[in-house]
Amino acid sequence: MSNKDLLGRRNFIKGMGAAAGVAMAAPALAVSESANGVKWDKEVEVLIIGSGFAGLAAAIEATRKGAKDVHIFEKMSYFGGNSAINGGLFAAPDTPMQKQEGVKDSVDTMVADQLAAGRGIADEALLRHVAEHAVEALQMTLDAGSEYHPYLQQLGGHSVARTYQTTVSCGAGITQPLLQECRKLGVHTHNRAKFDGFILDEKGGVVGVKMREGYYFDKPESGELVRIKARRGVIMATGGFAQNINMRMAQDPTLTAEVGCTNAPGATGEGMFEMFRLGAVPVHLAHIQSGPWASPDEGGFGYVSNYSIYNFPHSIAIDRLTGKRFMNEIADRKTRADAELNCRDAQGNALPPILITSYEDSKQHPNTKKVLKYNVGWKFDSIDALAKHFEVPLAPLKKQIAEYNEYVKTQSDPQFGKNMTEAKGKFIQAPFTVVRLWPKVHYCQGGVQINTKAEVKDSLTGKPISGLYAAGEVCGGIHGVSRLGSCSIPECMVMGMTAARIMMQA
Amino acid sequence: MKMYKLMLGLVLAGLVSLSAQAIEQRDYHKDVIGKDCKSCHDQGVKNYPSDQACLQCHDVDELAEETARSEEDKWQNPHNNLHYGKELPCIECHGEHKAKKPICSNCHTFKYDKHKE
Repeated sequence: MSNKDLLGRRNFIKGMGAAAGVAMAAPALAVSESANGVKWDKEVEVLIIGSGFAGLAAAIEATRKGAKDVHIFEKMSYFGGNSAINGGLFAAPDTPMQKQEGVKDSVDTMVADQLAAGRGIADEALLRHVAEHAVEALQMTLDAGSEYHPYLQQLGGHSVARTYQTTVSCGAGITQPLLQECRKLGVHTHNRAKFDGFILDEKGGVVGVKMREGYYFDKPESGELVRIKARRGVIMATGGFAQNINMRMAQDPTLTAEVGCTNAPGATGEGMFEMFRLGAVPVHLAHIQSGPWASPDEGGFGYVSNYSIYNFPHSIAIDRLTGKRFMNEIADRKTRADAELNCRDAQGNALPPILITSYEDSKQHPNTKKVLKYNVGWKFDSIDALAKHFEVPLAPLKKQIAEYNEYVKTQSDPQFGKNMTEAKGKFIQAPFTVVRLWPKVHYCQGGVQINTKAEVKDSLTGKPISGLYAAGEVCGGIHGVSRLGSCSIPECMVMGMTAARIMMQA
Repeated sequence: MKMYKLMLGLVLAGLVSLSAQAIEQRDYHKDVIGKDCKSCHDQGVKNYPSDQACLQCHDVDELAEETARSEEDKWQNPHNNLHYGKELPCIECHGEHKAKKPICSNCHTFKYDKHKE
């Protein structure tokens, strides 16, 4: 791809940066210090940093395993981190709903699907550990009151339908119940509390942290510094760095401030970087995933993302220049994001492709109403009207739709090899709903290396750093090149639960 | 000396009231709060009001009722929203002296017609 293409991409995204809230102040310098002679301001039993899926699951599990004094610290003014604003999609093998729908699945199959998308560099042991415990994590959400759509979805790269989605089609359908469960269990939750470095014993183990209380995200120097002792240890559940423009550009210079991002503004990675400074092993930092289901017509994750995720299996994605399909609509995320970025006009400027779905099928998902109501998706009564609106060449488009409908009938896609199981009987026919697609930065596959006990490995000794655990997106290397959709929530929760279990056994 | 202090005090008071006059303030707040900066700025005048400051007078449950939307869009209620329930601190969306965009607009195109931006 030429520089010209990249400029086109930049120009196109210009103006979206502000909407996505990507502006960010430089984080203040945090650094570890020795516990020798430290005057502790507070002492807690279990200290968790970050209040997304991983942190909340860790807090609940620690309490269930007998911890009496569990504290979650969150730097933002609100709880839930990035977990509160994503799709709420949860993949697990051998679930009750799969039995009900007659879907044959196993831990092995789920791991194999993820290894394929990981393109040879995923961590099989960790993927297996997460798949084996995913149903337990799903149960934790159900026990806390999460509700799910009464059907499974087959997301890109998954060989079978294994994905649950909350009825509110958002991760908040999990974080809110888990947060309330935490409070019910007596977990102490602190907002505006910014992690500011580790406190170490003479052997280099983590025995506490520095924290700035009363922290305001837009005032990097704010907050009163306190030193908090953690009797059992510290669980870092601080997420990725997709909103840290400098860091993501250091890994991939094309991911400028002008490229859209689905993440919460707090996803800036200081917790991860402080672990690197302590000696944690950095893994796969350059593998930053863009979501191929995002829309250039709204900021962040918005309404379209879940609309597209649900509809991809029975929809066609069309290059507006050619009027033809250009990808397998349920390939893994990287394959699709790369294909979309190649959709350009004759001058090389971005020409966001369109996703065409029969209204008959799209209306099954609650987000369809929203995308139409808020003008981020459109409805058409004929191919002609649709083609005219998006300036797509009509004849090739009609031919493509007719060909694709044959694939639906024969259950085989010779054009791009799409798995047509979920498209069965779902022909592309009027009336249609259409959204525009353009990838947005979504997920950091990179982070600190952990083992299946959620322990953080030291790069010099090769041994776990005592007193330190990590869970969720802050960890790296688990998924390899491309994480499959709906595999982060189970990973966050299982590793959060694992960290709590191991800590309580230690 | 005493005189000097008194003068200084008067000058400072004048400055404070001047700046209080110059800043943007909602009419209904002018009536109730007047120029007493500290009634909101409970963490010092240079700092944001604490997350409890507005709650001295405003009740979240009442606000949530006032801004309730239809069943279909019920989670767009800014005071009881999908992502954070009733817990989002007021200053995430409201600025007394400087208009602010609601946090929802980071990702969504829906509008709050009465919200001052």
